[in-house]
Amino acid sequence: MPITTEVTLADLTRMLRESAGEEEGVDLDGDVIDTPFIDLGYDSLALLQVIGQIQREYGLVIPDDAVVDAETPRALLALINTAS
Amino acid sequence: MSLTAHTAVTRRLTVEAGSGRLRRTAADVPGPLLESLGHHRPDRLPARTVLYVGGFEPSGTPPQDHRGLPVRTLATPGQALRLAHRELQEKTTDLALLATLDDPITGTVTVQVLRRAAEAVAEGPVVGVLDLAGLGPWPSSPLDPEHSVVLRPLRHGGPVSDPDRHRLLVWSGRDEPGERQVRQELRTLLEDMQPQGFPALPTAVPYGRAFGPVRAAAVTTARQAPAAVEAARATTTGRPRPVALLFPGQGSQHSAMAAGLYGHEPVFTAAVDAVLDLFGDEGPAVRADWLGDRPVIPIDDVRRAQPLLFAVDYALGRMVLSWGVRPAALLGHSAGELVAATLAGVVSLPDAVAMMRERVRHAVKIPAGGMLAVAASESALRPYLFGDVAVAAVNANQQTMLAGPTGPLAEVAAALRADGHTVVAVPATSPFHCPAMAPASDAVEIAYRGLRFSEPELPFYSGYTGELMGPEEALSPRYWARQLTDTVWFAPALEQLLAADDVLLVEAGPRQTLTAFARRHRAVRLGSSAAVALLPAKPGTPEDDRRSVLGAAARIWTEGHDLDQQALSRLWTWTAEPAAESARALTPAALS
Repeated sequence: MPITTEVTLADLTRMLRESAGEEEGVDLDGDVIDTPFIDLGYDSLALLQVIGQIQREYGLVIPDDAVVDAETPRALLALINTAS
Repeated sequence: MSLTAHTAVTRRLTVEAGSGRLRRTAADVPGPLLESLGHHRPDRLPARTVLYVGGFEPSGTPPQDHRGLPVRTLATPGQALRLAHRELQEKTTDLALLATLDDPITGTVTVQVLRRAAEAVAEGPVVGVLDLAGLGPWPSSPLDPEHSVVLRPLRHGGPVSDPDRHRLLVWSGRDEPGERQVRQELRTLLEDMQPQGFPALPTAVPYGRAFGPVRAAAVTTARQAPAAVEAARATTTGRPRPVALLFPGQGSQHSAMAAGLYGHEPVFTAAVDAVLDLFGDEGPAVRADWLGDRPVIPIDDVRRAQPLLFAVDYALGRMVLSWGVRPAALLGHSAGELVAATLAGVVSLPDAVAMMRERVRHAVKIPAGGMLAVAASESALRPYLFGDVAVAAVNANQQTMLAGPTGPLAEVAAALRADGHTVVAVPATSPFHCPAMAPASDAVEIAYRGLRFSEPELPFYSGYTGELMGPEEALSPRYWARQLTDTVWFAPALEQLLAADDVLLVEAGPRQTLTAFARRHRAVRLGSSAAVALLPAKPGTPEDDRRSVLGAAARIWTEGHDLDQQALSRLWTWTAEPAAESARALTPAALS
């Protein structure tokens, strides 16, 4: 199925916030696109949760390795937007 | 590379005999000797302390015991020294006090405190390693009232000079233009420099100048040094936030974790050796499975994960202390709490290792189980729990661990996944922190009753009460035993720690699990506290380990803490001496 909606940094930021719980969300203001997820406080479990949410919301299939491969929001967005 | 066959001198005191309080007869020795060392109360000395007296004139029957402290009296200083060494190596003694007459100088009494070398190196920077082969090379210090020799762990390794090994460069200025000027001078120096000279540059440049409040640091190799210095970000420091150390537990282990420091940083190496040596015959097997490609027992097995996490966390903590860092607080997660307890002085290192061994010995008898990490709050998970499946740890908002026997835990995992929860298996073979561990908890409590617990000397947060550790818990064998069954309240404990003061959290263990939890905390998110990890987030090369540690040291320095530059420099100028293994083996048999 071709992707009709591209996931943007703003979408990803929203989902990152939601997954962490709004009150305790990490600081995602400013330029975070090249900041490693671990520096933002997202460990592999938190990232898996975000990826699961993206898959459900956008009807995508993202391989589990994405967590290992995508170390920054930029890398994860690239992976998401080439997924089918 | 092992220090474990050696005995070390941690204190030495030489006084004139006869004229002062130390007399020439053996019976008169113990009281004044203890006083001279500042130990007025023998019952306050560590367990397994023995006094050895050598070369004094016999006067009636020599004492066997001085107010509960065992005393061994020998005819000559050499015999006393040898016996102390042998009993230390055989572990019937943990701390040897040695008093000898006329050695090396006639008319003097020399008092020395001896310990096993690896433990002494691991626990304090001021140590002299005693070469027992000749009984001679000890530097003579006539009548020096408080002569202590700064240990050169280098003696058990060799200097290296490798321009491709990462190193730390730090510099500062009184103000921003001052910092820029120093940086420019440093760049010019580096551009004109032969790579071979790079490792020998002092840690702080220019050498000897007082540090200013505008600080910068670079972690780099010779080739990339000019660019790295150019790219470094300067920080204006105010009051440095004190360091708080975090020690991770089960789940953070991985094969060859921190191996880039073993044999490459002397305090870390000595501390790991000290811990593994206390594991006795099992020690070499544990070390081989840690470093080897094909472990006989996998690293995630409780028999490997627990000892190695303890060894690595503890050795990292000792290394940071050797830089001159004085932590304001300690907090360990699960097995990491025992490391915090050891560094806080609640238990001695030999007792901590004994506790760990007991824990492992009884944990393996519990039917197999496991642990899960779930991206959900503790309250959201309660409805899924049944039987022995329980909340093992509350780590952070939306991060909870469960534990239980294999079958029921799999059922809970399936139910959680069916409801859309994200669930990850934590590498563990035992169901730590759930009621299934109760038989092990009961068994270790009996063993723990025989150990000596002391009040913490450093602020130390408990993951089991979620509060600052008080004497009541610290001194209770039951408290320590219940760690096997009880929930770890890491998030509340971290909350308390961060509420008490603004700190720089430093994670002393493999991966960056606790650092990630801390970065989600409001105090760190808003910048009032900060978090940095010593080791990489994912397993990497040995060079990655060293580079990561140097990066953390740079962070502590730019925070405004002044670190022991020589201690830091060992991270790029020291290597375990390959020839050390073939050095004279000082076995007890060879000495007697």
